[in-house]
Amino acid sequence: MKNPILRHLARALLLVGAATSLVAADTKLMVAMMPKAKGNAYFLSCKAGADRAAKELGVDLLFDGPTDTNAAKQNEIVENWITLGVDVIAVAAENKEGISTALRKARSQGIGVITYDADALPDARSFFVNQATPEGIGYALMDEAARLCGEEGEFAIITATLTAANQREWQKHIEARLGDKYPKMKLVAVRPCDDLKDRAQSEATALMSANPKLKLLMAICSPGVPGAAEAVKQAGKTGKVKVIGLGLPNENKRYVHEGVTDAVILWNTEDLGYLTVYAGVALANGELKPGASRIEAGSLGSFEIQGDNILLGKPFLFTKENIDRFNF
Amino acid sequence: MSSPSRQIDWKRILFRYEMLLLVVLVVEWLLFYHFGTTTNRRGIVVGFGTMDRQFDILRHSCEIGLLALALTPVIITAGIDLSVASLLGLCAILFGKFHFDAGMPIPVAIVLTLACGCTGGALNAALITTLRLPPLIVTLGTYSLFRGLAEAITHGAVTYTGFSDAFLTVGQGRWLGLPVQAWIFAGVAVSIWLLVHRTVHGRSFRAIGFSPEGARFAGIPVNRRLATVYMLAGLIAALAAVIYTARLGQAKADAGMGYELFAITAVVLGGTSIFGGTGTVVGTLLGVAAIAVLKNGLATLPVVIRMNAAEEMSGLMTGVLLLVALTGSIVPGVLSKLRARRQAASTPSQTLA
Repeated sequence: MKNPILRHLARALLLVGAATSLVAADTKLMVAMMPKAKGNAYFLSCKAGADRAAKELGVDLLFDGPTDTNAAKQNEIVENWITLGVDVIAVAAENKEGISTALRKARSQGIGVITYDADALPDARSFFVNQATPEGIGYALMDEAARLCGEEGEFAIITATLTAANQREWQKHIEARLGDKYPKMKLVAVRPCDDLKDRAQSEATALMSANPKLKLLMAICSPGVPGAAEAVKQAGKTGKVKVIGLGLPNENKRYVHEGVTDAVILWNTEDLGYLTVYAGVALANGELKPGASRIEAGSLGSFEIQGDNILLGKPFLFTKENIDRFNF
Repeated sequence: MSSPSRQIDWKRILFRYEMLLLVVLVVEWLLFYHFGTTTNRRGIVVGFGTMDRQFDILRHSCEIGLLALALTPVIITAGIDLSVASLLGLCAILFGKFHFDAGMPIPVAIVLTLACGCTGGALNAALITTLRLPPLIVTLGTYSLFRGLAEAITHGAVTYTGFSDAFLTVGQGRWLGLPVQAWIFAGVAVSIWLLVHRTVHGRSFRAIGFSPEGARFAGIPVNRRLATVYMLAGLIAALAAVIYTARLGQAKADAGMGYELFAITAVVLGGTSIFGGTGTVVGTLLGVAAIAVLKNGLATLPVVIRMNAAEEMSGLMTGVLLLVALTGSIVPGVLSKLRARRQAASTPSQTLA
């Protein structure tokens, strides 16, 4: 018996081999965008904006990343994209150094590389789409606080820890703005909450009883915002002591709708995705070169570039009117 | 049946499980080559059919391949080691600590890391042989223990980066045309093959896998042999940790998370019985290759790319591949049974006389 199974198999293999023809070339520009974790609602919101931009520009958008935050997976996906020959790679880096080796490899093969949300090492990418400068955040928080208080009265800050680098930076700009523009407002206390909601709640309660004339609580770490709101609500001071802070829409929605929290400040994640795709495509087309000072991004208009940072601009205020549009 | 000694038994070679796996691998590769290779808009050939992609497959699967090699002797003795990938994570952290915090030069740090891996394996071996606990339970414990230690040492936050370029070459560079780690992997593969298939030790692993009691009565020092395979597994896990660190340029507590399952899948796919007693290193290598080509190949298919689902698809298809291959492995048995029945039917009963 000649082996018929083997003969069929050989024939099938030959067919597959002989039929190897290259699939028709895709003429569209291909932008590959990577979140830190692709199920994360924050990044899904970025993707919504990115999709809109890709449609307007007529480019293909790949949006892939690890299912959980995993630096090794990020590298493997970037290396895959390199051999796929995409035109632009945009990454939110989980680990600065870890991703940079893969990104450098991409650049050396003529692929445009930008980062967004979380930067890689400067030599591994052309531009970083910076969603918020410390100055922007500090000023936005202080301006909103002053607006709510009618530019006079006492307020207190709840921070993460007294040594946290980000928070100290923001606080510096809050105080600078306060000194420059709002002489009738007074910062009575800065208390740490160790990034814990419970701790923020008890600190807020203590602040209110120690400072009866307190008009506003400003939380500059994300668990602090719902924590302060809960304290105000339980003290029955809704409306009397206002709450604002830097946080995520979902964990504050309830308090915003109840009128306890007046505004949550962050950046517009959809705009972040939108701008990232516009910047990536401009880079690939040679319209965006090192040293550029502005970039046009479709319906969002023009954005400033400082050095190699493309600035998303002013932070975004989530209020009763718009907070339900965001789900992260 | 006149001169069986002179004839090469082709049928036996063709119907070997490894052959089936080789065919699966070749078909898989050709399919990906066909569907996963394109030219991009700049006219450059991209995708699966590029040398870069082939080298990436080698690089990405090296650590899982090493763990699979380490697990082959373990599983042949009817044991299992779930802790290898956790030990990889712990060793990566220790390596970073030795080099950066203790200021040791890279070679010293590597040697110490390998020693630590060996110690981790020795802990498994000690618990399994002295307490007579099932390997599954022991290594399930050390699986959490090693990963937990790695996270405790770094508080889950420290990442060691900034290794020298010379060291990173081990994971990212080439030597004689191939990725450096491919040579290391080949060296380990040959050593394990020699150990399992060409030494008395290797034969004793199979004896232990078939029946530990029988092996003991046959005069095999079972505990010492078991200690050897688990310590070897720890040693290879540490080596994988060094290569992983060099490939990514970073050592973090989550290094190699989940790799043990891919490694076990590769070993089982390679035809090693999970109940012990049988298994080949060549099978394991083919199993690793089949999984690696599948994982990397899927990510180059336009359909999968459009769906942005490379990672999910690779998990799904690895499962399908395992089930298909295991089902396929019983085909020769069924065929020979059918043939025997047909022969029995065609030959009249008088031959029974």
